[in-house]
Amino acid sequence: MATGTDQVVGLGLVAVSLIIFTYYTAWVILLPFIDSQHVIHKYFLPRAYAVAIPLAAGLLLLLFVGLFISYVMLKTKRVTKKAQ
Amino acid sequence: MASLEVSRSPRRSRRELEVRSPRQNKYSVLLPTYNERENLPLIVWLLVKSFSESGINYEIIIIDDGSPDGTRDVAEQLEKIYGSDRILLRPREKKLGLGTAYIHGMKHATGNYIIIMDADLSHHPKFIPEFIRKQKEGNFDIVSGTRYKGNGGVYGWDLKRKIISRGANFLTQILLRPGASDLTGSFRLYRKEVLEKLIEKCVSKGYVFQMEMIVRARQLNYTIGEVPISFVDRVYGESKLGGNEIVSFLKGLLTLFATT
Repeated sequence: MATGTDQVVGLGLVAVSLIIFTYYTAWVILLPFIDSQHVIHKYFLPRAYAVAIPLAAGLLLLLFVGLFISYVMLKTKRVTKKAQ
Repeated sequence: MASLEVSRSPRRSRRELEVRSPRQNKYSVLLPTYNERENLPLIVWLLVKSFSESGINYEIIIIDDGSPDGTRDVAEQLEKIYGSDRILLRPREKKLGLGTAYIHGMKHATGNYIIIMDADLSHHPKFIPEFIRKQKEGNFDIVSGTRYKGNGGVYGWDLKRKIISRGANFLTQILLRPGASDLTGSFRLYRKEVLEKLIEKCVSKGYVFQMEMIVRARQLNYTIGEVPISFVDRVYGESKLGGNEIVSFLKGLLTLFATT
């Protein structure tokens, strides 16, 4: 079995994913069928953000991955140049 | 006797004729070593114990790549203790890589099954009888030890390392759809012909090499069975996973994705 903290972190990750999943599902699939005067709409942003936020998140992830790879490759080039 | 029955029934398919009775199967363990002076006696003792307790015919081939710490002397002493029919020392002058170590070892192997594993005690020989049982159960060409299925797992990794490992495995499953849950593992049992064929076809190095073996095996329609194992991170010595390893893994993964 995984150690204490690892299990907690794991459960935390699962909980966060479930929350995001339910929120997003409700936002995109359930809300269109609910009367626009209902109070629940107060808890959700305008629908345009349902596309904008995941898109922005995806781009940020790609950016981070690209930066990481460039950083590592530059570092190895510097190390091999130093070793020569 | 099983062998007499087999030769008396010519209508049996050629594949059945190639399967020997359990008493005739011989398992060669390939142990590539580099600076494993402290671990080698332990691993050999554990191997001998597992095999003797299960009554399995075996041999252990130690391929030392000119270790500066005297691993070769230790291996020679072990050969004297356990007998040169059980321990075969086939060294090389310098560090030449894992793939060539396997090829070199196989040339001297007299078994019909080959087991590859790490010599640094991260793989426990007690799983080998389970590999053998699994292979017989499904008549598999390859049996792979997996850390990601059943009660398989890793001991001795911190959270960051575990996440990286799971992330890498997830990415690999998506890109390559390999049909095996653990691709970078190197605790496996192969039929000798299968291993020879695969090594011939593989072009990469390091643990991408292990991944490529499984992917090529799927391409060639070999059957793969899995047994959950516990991987224990090095008892002696350091093991680090830096950004460099991550990037070379990604490069290898993309190459495999593009070429297979």
